[in-house]
Parts: sequence; C-alpha cells; structure tokens
Amino acid sequence: MSTHTDVDFDVKDPSLTRFDLVKEGARRDGVEIVHYAPRFPVPGTRAEKRVERTIAFMLVLSGLLGLGFVVAYIWWPWKYEPGNGLDKLYNPVLGITLGGSLFLLGIAIVTWAKKLLPEEVSIQERHDVADQAERALTGATILNMVDETGIKRRPLLKGALLVGAAPLGVAAAAPLVGGLIKKPDHILFETAWKPADGHKVKLTREDGSAVRPEDVSVGGQMTVYPGVPHGASNEHADSPVLLIHLREKDASELRANLKNVAVNAEDGGAIWGNFVAYSKICTHAGCPASLYEQQTNRLLCPCHQSQFHITDNARPVFGPATRRLPMLPLSVEDGVFVAKSDFRVPIGPGFWERP
Amino acid sequence: MKRRKFDVAALPAKAGGEIDDRLQVSAPLRRLFNKVFPDHWSFLLGEIALYSFIVLLLTGTFLTLWFDPSMEEVHYNGPYTPLNGIEMSRAYESSLQLSFEVRGGLIMRQMHHWAALLFMASIVVHMLRVFFTGAFRKPRELNWVIGVLLFWLGFVEGFAGYSLPDDALSGTGLRIAHAIMLSIPVVGTWVATSLFGGEFPGTVILGRLYIAHVLLVPAILLGLIAAHMGLLVKQKHTQWPGPGRSNDNVVGVRMFPGFAAKGGAFFMVVFGVIALLGGLFQINPVWLFGPYKAAVVSAASQPDWYVMFLDGSTRLMPPWEARFPLWPGHHYTLPPLFWPTVFLPGVLTMLPLFYPFIEARKFKSKQSHHLLQRPRDVPTRTSLGAMALAFYFVLMISGANDVLAEKFHISLNAMTWAGRIGLLLLPPLAYWVTYRICLGLQQHDREVLAHGMETGIIKRLPNGAFVEVHQPLSPVDAHGHPTELPYAGWVVPKKMNRIGALVPTVKGFFFPVEEAAQRTLPAEAPVSPAPSREGIGSGKH
Amino acid sequence: MTFDDSAGAAGPPREARRGRLLASPVRRSRLRRRVFAGLRLVTALAIVGGIYTAFAPGSQAEDTPKLTEAAQLGKRLYDQSCATCHGPNAQGVQGRGPSLIGVGSAAVEFQVETGRMPAARPQQAQVERKQPMFTTEQAQQMGAYVQELGGGPQLPSGDNLREGGDVAKGGELFRVNCASCHAFSTNGGALSSGKFAPSLEPTTDRQLYAAMLTGPQNMPVFGDNQLTPQEKRDIIAYVQFQKQDKDPGGFGLGRYGPVPEGLVIFLVGMVSILFVTLWIAGKS
Repeated sequence: MSTHTDVDFDVKDPSLTRFDLVKEGARRDGVEIVHYAPRFPVPGTRAEKRVERTIAFMLVLSGLLGLGFVVAYIWWPWKYEPGNGLDKLYNPVLGITLGGSLFLLGIAIVTWAKKLLPEEVSIQERHDVADQAERALTGATILNMVDETGIKRRPLLKGALLVGAAPLGVAAAAPLVGGLIKKPDHILFETAWKPADGHKVKLTREDGSAVRPEDVSVGGQMTVYPGVPHGASNEHADSPVLLIHLREKDASELRANLKNVAVNAEDGGAIWGNFVAYSKICTHAGCPASLYEQQTNRLLCPCHQSQFHITDNARPVFGPATRRLPMLPLSVEDGVFVAKSDFRVPIGPGFWERP
Repeated sequence: MKRRKFDVAALPAKAGGEIDDRLQVSAPLRRLFNKVFPDHWSFLLGEIALYSFIVLLLTGTFLTLWFDPSMEEVHYNGPYTPLNGIEMSRAYESSLQLSFEVRGGLIMRQMHHWAALLFMASIVVHMLRVFFTGAFRKPRELNWVIGVLLFWLGFVEGFAGYSLPDDALSGTGLRIAHAIMLSIPVVGTWVATSLFGGEFPGTVILGRLYIAHVLLVPAILLGLIAAHMGLLVKQKHTQWPGPGRSNDNVVGVRMFPGFAAKGGAFFMVVFGVIALLGGLFQINPVWLFGPYKAAVVSAASQPDWYVMFLDGSTRLMPPWEARFPLWPGHHYTLPPLFWPTVFLPGVLTMLPLFYPFIEARKFKSKQSHHLLQRPRDVPTRTSLGAMALAFYFVLMISGANDVLAEKFHISLNAMTWAGRIGLLLLPPLAYWVTYRICLGLQQHDREVLAHGMETGIIKRLPNGAFVEVHQPLSPVDAHGHPTELPYAGWVVPKKMNRIGALVPTVKGFFFPVEEAAQRTLPAEAPVSPAPSREGIGSGKH
Repeated sequence: MTFDDSAGAAGPPREARRGRLLASPVRRSRLRRRVFAGLRLVTALAIVGGIYTAFAPGSQAEDTPKLTEAAQLGKRLYDQSCATCHGPNAQGVQGRGPSLIGVGSAAVEFQVETGRMPAARPQQAQVERKQPMFTTEQAQQMGAYVQELGGGPQLPSGDNLREGGDVAKGGELFRVNCASCHAFSTNGGALSSGKFAPSLEPTTDRQLYAAMLTGPQNMPVFGDNQLTPQEKRDIIAYVQFQKQDKDPGGFGLGRYGPVPEGLVIFLVGMVSILFVTLWIAGKS
C-alpha cells in the first residue's frame, strides 16, 4: 500500500485524536470511512437503556441455559430404558439447553453489533490490476532459473534425469497401488452353493437347520442360506436365496415357462415340485430383492424398484434391472432341500466380464 | 515508562509492542482489521457451510474416541434389549454403545449427522447464490472450481460417514456402491475387489472408509476450505451494484468490530441450530435397523438427501444393457447401473467445472467482474440454472418415490414413469418459463424507470378515458414527461412507500440500502467514554 | 389355501383411512355416512340374496352338519354380510369372491376385524384396512362358522400373544422376514403398481399372528413349520415393543429415514438460519 503513505502525517502530533489515527490507518490500507455515526448520539437515553437491558437479558438467559445443560447432563436420568421413561427426554433436554444457550448468545451479540456499534459505511479500493513490470521481472527470474540449470543445452542430463526419476516415481506409487490391488479371480462366478467334494449343499435356515418341503406353506417364502460353515454370515454375502412355494396353478405356469431359459430347464429343470429358489441378490445393484407378492407373483427390490416375474423365470418386468434372478437348481435328498449345483449364471449386479 | 511501577492497564499495549518488535505484524494486522466486507444476507450462506464444518470437526473428534471400525463379529450385550445376544460387527456394537452407553453420546452422534446434512445443504444453497448472481466470473473461476470440488468431497465424506456404523441401511448403501464400482467398464471388477479386499463385504472396507472419513478426506476438505477463503480474502468480496459501488471498490463495514462480531455471533446461531436439531429430531436411528446382513433389507431404503438424486437417477434408468460379443466366447457387459451412477456424476462434475469459461467465451467477456448481476438481467444463465434445478429436483423426488408412493397412495410404477417423463419435459419447460419471467421483470423495471411507478390513483381525462397516475422517479421536462432513467443493475422502487411517499420506508429487511449521502465524519470516535489517545502506542515509547 | 380376496372388492378406504387419521369431525361424519351407505347396500344385497337362497330349490341349509352355538350366530352374520360374494356355503362366487373353504377362522378374524371385509368397492389395487363393521366377538363367531365349514388355520386363544416372546429373537426374525415390505420401522412400504405393505401401527397381537399364519392378500404365508408359534410370539413381542418404545433421540420423524430428515434440514434447519441471515444483514 505504498501509494497511501506519501501524505505527510505525523503520528506523534498531539493534536490528533485517536479517531484521526484510525482514519489514517484505514487510509493507508486503502479504506475510506465515509459514514460513521453513533447509534445513540445522546448517551443514556431510555431507548439505549432498553437495548442494553435486552442484550443483558439474553446473555443471562443464555448463561442459565448453559448451566441447565451442565445440570441436566450430570443429573438427568440418561440410561436407556425400554418404554416411555424420563430417559427418553435426556436428548431433547440437552438439545434445548445447549442449542438455546448458543442460539441466544449469538442473537445477543448480533443485537449488540446492530444496535450499539456505530453505524458505518467504509469504502475499500480494489487493486487487482496486475503490475506488468512486476510480471516481466518475475517471468525473467523464472526463465533464468531454467537457464541456470542448463537443461536445454545438456540433452544427456535431460535424458538421464528422465531415466532416473521416472522409475522412482513408479516406485513411490507401487506400494500404494500394489498393496491395494487384488485380482477379481473367479469370486464373481462362484458362490457357496458350489458342491464341495461331490457333496451337494443343503438349504438351511439362519440357525443352520435344514429345510424340508413341508416347512414352507403354499404361498409362502423363506430366506435360506447355504449349509456350509458360516453360510448365513456376511462371509457369503452372495449366497442368500429366496425359496418360494408356489400354488399349483402358478407352478405349472412356471414349469411351462422353464424352457424359455435354457439353463433353468437343463438337468430336468431347476425347480422341485412346486418349489422354486431364486438368488436374493438383485441383478441390478445387489440389494436383496425380497418383496414377494404371493398373488401377483412379483418380486420387488426395494432399492430401485426392479420387479421380477416369479412364474416366468424371474424375468425383469419393471425398473432398471436387465437380467433375470438366477435360479438355484433344487432337489430333495433324505427329505431336505439341497442345491443340485451352484447357480448356472453369475449372481448379483452386472460387471464387464459377465457374458 | 517507569521501571518499578507495574501498570496493569499498560500491559496489553506493552505486550503488543513486544510482539511487534519481533514479528512486525502491526501493519498486516491492521490491514486485516480494516478489510471491508459488503453486507447482504446472501453473502452469509457460505459461512453456514464453514460453521457446520467446524461443528463436524468438533463432534467428529468426540465420536472417534468411542467408535471402532472393526468388522470382527461380536455378540451385543447392552442396555438396548431388542438387540441382546445378536451377532453383529464391532463397528455396529460401538455405534450402539455410543448411542446408549456414553453419556451425551447420542446427541453428539445426532449433531454430527445433522451438521453433515446442513453442511451439504448450505454448500448447495451457496453455490446457487454464486451461480445465479454471476459471482463465479473472472477473477473468481478458480474459487468456483474449488467450490465444486468441495461439494463432491463433502458428498464422498458424507457417504463414507454414514456407511461406518455397519447397520443394515448403511450396509445396503455400501452394497450398491460395490455394484456401482463393478459396473465400470473394463476395470470395474478390479476396482471393486481391490477396494473391498476381495469379495463383498470382506473385512477391510470399514477400516479403509474410516481412515478416509476421519483423516484423508477431511484433510483435503480443510486444505480446500483454506484455499477457498484465502482466495476470498485476496480477491475481496463481490458486491451488489448500488450508490457509490463500482467495480473498483468494496462498500461495507470494516472487519473489526462490526463484521467479526456478526460472524462470530452467526457461528453461535448455526451451532445452536445444529444442537437443537440434534436434541429434538432423531436422525439415523441405527438401533432400529439392526446389524448388516446380506439377506436383510427394508422397504424405503434411501441414502441421505445429498445422495438421493443419484438414487433417483438409478431408479429412473430404463433397463438398457449393452453387450459386446467381441470375439467368440468372450462377451462383455456394460450394465445399466453405469449410466446413472458413474457417467451422470462425471458429467455433473465436468459441466459446472467448465461453466465459467464457457460462459465467458459465449458472452465474450474478458475483464474482471466484481459487481453482481441480478438473475433477471442474465436470462440465459438464470434459465440454465432453473433447468439444472428442475433436473435435480425430479431426480431427488424420484429418489424418494417409494416413500411418496406409500404416503400419498400413488402407484409406485406410476411414480417411476412420472419421473422418467418429468426428467425429459420439466427442464426445458423450466428454461422457457424462467426466460419469460426474466424478460417480464426486466421490462417492468424499464417501464418504471421510463414512466414512473404506479400510484393506484385513477384519473378520468376530459375525453372520458381513464388513466392511472404515475409518479416519475426523475425530474420532468417542460411537457411534464419524465426523462427516462438508465437502469443501474439494482432494485428499482416499484411501490410508493419504497420512496417514502406513503409511510416511512421499511429499510433493509431484504435489501440493505446503503446511503450515499455524505455526512461529516466526527472528529472523535463516537464511542464513550472516549479515552485520551495517550494509551495508544505507549509500548513504542 | 389362503384367503384370496383380490377378486373381491374394497371399501371406501382411502378417504376413510385419511379421515380416521385426521380425526376431524367433518371427515368423521362423512366417513360415517359412507360406512352406513355401504352397510345399507350390503344389507340390501344380503337380503335379496337371502330371499333368493330361501326360495331356491334344495336349500343347502339342511345338509350342513350340526354347528356349535357360536358358529350358528356366525352363520347368521355370514349369510347377511358375506354370502353375496363368498356364496351361501362359502364355496365362493365366480368373479366376486373366492371360496372360504379351508381358510380357517384365523383368516376370517383378520379380514373382518381389520375392517377389510366386507369389502365394498371392487377393482382396487388392494383391500385396505378400515373401520370394522363387526365387533371382535362377531368376527370370532363368523370365524367359527367358516372354521366348522372347511377347517384351516386357527389362532391361539387370548388377546395377549406376545407373552413369553423374546424381543431380540423376534427382531432378528422380523428383519429377515418382515422388514423387506413393512420396513425396519414397522411403518409399511410401497409394493408394485399401487399395492403396499400396510403400517403395523394399529395392528393387534391377534391380527399380527393371523396375518403371518394366513398371508392375507399379497403377503406370503408363514406357516407354523416355518415360523413356529413361539417364533411368531417373538415377532409380535418385537413389533409391539417397537411401537411402545419411545424414540430416545427426540422426535422420531415417523421413523421414515432419510426422506423426512432431508425435509427437516431444509424446512427447519435451513429456513431458520436463513431468517437469521436476513436479520443479521438487514439495516437496524
């Protein structure tokens, strides 16, 4: 702000008031105070006292609420109890006292600033026109840096620098990327339903008990998991299956439709009696598609509303899903449901390598 | 200064002197004190985001003391009986403990979540203000770019944050995020398996999200916020046109004490509102959702509001899948999920990033702009903004379409179709309507400037015709016709009481009208009691 | 077989439901008018049907086996209010109402007690809950009649079916089996094409039990082999617990999740702060 110091001004001049100094300081900063007036030109009027009282009241109330917060925080019964006890008011009481206290403090200070601080209009100049001379000097300095290294006339060094630095850059990135990177392998094509050592996997409940055909009523559905260790846990998040017991009429419709999907029809058909099992993982975004409407035979996914037609091999009939829910080939051995094989197509959302 | 006498009153001045001896800060400090800020309500919107960010840092630090992002399986045993004995991850258990077993933990959790919603809401509202007033123009393009990045970083930070408790709702969201990664062509499966450390959900994702949420993203956010504000200070604030205001100055109040007092007080207000929300409104009750299990889902599964528009775009997307049989035995798939969740956000990032430059090129504008524009004066930009808003609203409402369908008894399928059609029809309609409104408002401004404002007084002419008497805003010529005033880019008074004709003007609730009238400045600062100036600078003696 | 009433009809539900929710006197009287109008219509139809059956040759009344006293009372109500659509002997009427043979007393009790039956308006996406036309006792009598006609699932006795239920176990079962449609909050949710899973807010223990046992409308059936009676009690205990447990975090926003939360941050948070900004920047 060198342009503003050129005026002859003696800060030690005793005839200057403090406000003269303020104005001079502002002037040196490119600021002109063009309007400056007290809110209450006559001190001690009733109006001024009223404003003071209002602010004081808000500040005291804010303090009281803050105190109330501490008191409630320490002494209010806060431990969770089922039902409708005082503990359910703990959180609201904390919110009202803390929030109220902060809010009132803010309001009090704003009132102070608006009603008691002097009215002011200041004008500050902008200086955003770039100094061309400075620019030229800096540009020359930068170019000189490049010249000093002599990189332009030393092509050997240029090449060597590149050869030397590039591998180092890769080396710096390698542990970051390499530690994270993981090959997808076959995990997207296999689930826990794949028979291990020739043993077919049983359909089990969450507690691991096997499911029998008589366990699911007509018009009923059951979420089942592969009968392997931790089969119902998130370790096998790709494996939950919805087992549906269709009505006779709907089952024969599905039987007639099975041939529409080659993999569902092979090996004697993937359904067993009037039972059908579909992957619960939506082929759109992987949510469990499990809103089964037993009369319309639709299966709805609650995340993006894809709808699948149960009696037509879970054909997507509405919403963004493009692929059918894969059918788990069902069979019954020793009176309990087993999967004849793994799903015959990959389950879950689509991906690039998916045929 | 006398040696042995210890003068308490002189202590601050002395300390100040000592500091200035060592750091020479008096001039830069005074320059900061004297910085002038213009005063308008819409300039406070960005401050809301800043203050909610501070609350987020405060409450978030508290939460880290108890939260444990481990995915180790444990059995819950605590005061919340409906989950007793249930198997869950340690992360979910620690969220429950934070809510029920840490005194005041629940309000901290809720304040943190409300502050996050407010952070994103104020960013969006602030961005709208900046966009519609043209505050992004040269020289502020860089700050606009930083703002756009801040929005997306906040988006990522919020998503990572609400995924951490590992409840059934957040787990569903994470599963969708996994599916989104899978949908990326060519590298999708590599990206997904690398980030999740194998199959979904695996055991590492929460730990990685946690470090991203508490360290990585906040650090970048903090850096960008610092840059954002540094640029603001360097380039000085924009201002509305008005008496005494030009492209070369800033009219307002100095930072201290007026602006700083209001700013500090506004922080208290924002903090207070967040505390009230955290205490009075329950948010994200994870205990109702239960632990995440791959087979568990709830009707009405929604993300937080700032992610909801992407959920909406996903819901509206038609089932279009591209398959590429590149060579026999090798077929590749581009799932429909890719378009609304990867492609669309990419476009939505790029368009605003480049908008300032595109607009400058179109309007052939190369100079710096420090005066804001009223939205009506730039109908093209305003209509484009309205179009973008309409697009955004249709997507957001579609993100909530199952809740709306259930609450208002509308068919869900009908809601989806309404969204699909609305997404195509409403944005152009919004453009057209906004354009007409802008032109209409412009015309009315010019009319008032040319003929004066309507008074509501009807006069009958000798020939029997009725005319309304207009009050001219300018002096009239010899024939009694007002001379036409030029438009100054600012509010034109349109009601008699705006110019003090009927009742005293209600000043400034919406428009802080700066007075241009010159008044003589008092020689002495009108603060009482006015001390003598000997106090100042005594440290320098 | 389930109690299939999709071919049947629906009541005056939407207005009636809203009316009940709003509980304004005007709405309620309109509701009452509508209910009475429906009642008159149904009664008139039933009388016509009754006269027809009385004069029809070979009236089947004599063929039915001896009924218990409750079933006889139930039969009288049935003939009056249900026979038009479900047939004089519950064998169903083509295009009007399904057969009730084998649906059991549980289905009848559920449908009548929740006011879904008698339905009055056909061709609706789904029959909705409304003000019941019969008392619980009458519903049970009708249930007894249908039970003795064709058998089927029955409810255990007593009004309190949550006793001995394990809330935590019930919660786990609820989340896997019920939450997908009725939501974690038990508030219900949308299904395809205008259908919806209703809120469990007004549902009693017996109704919850009956719904699981019989799978009304599009709800899947959860027979006793899938969810044992004890597990049903667990689920009921959990649902009723959630209804009685007040929200610990303040106003629960209907437990609808992020949608009302997003509304609150704008309508409450943002609006209140905007008013403060107007005041801060305004001239004093």
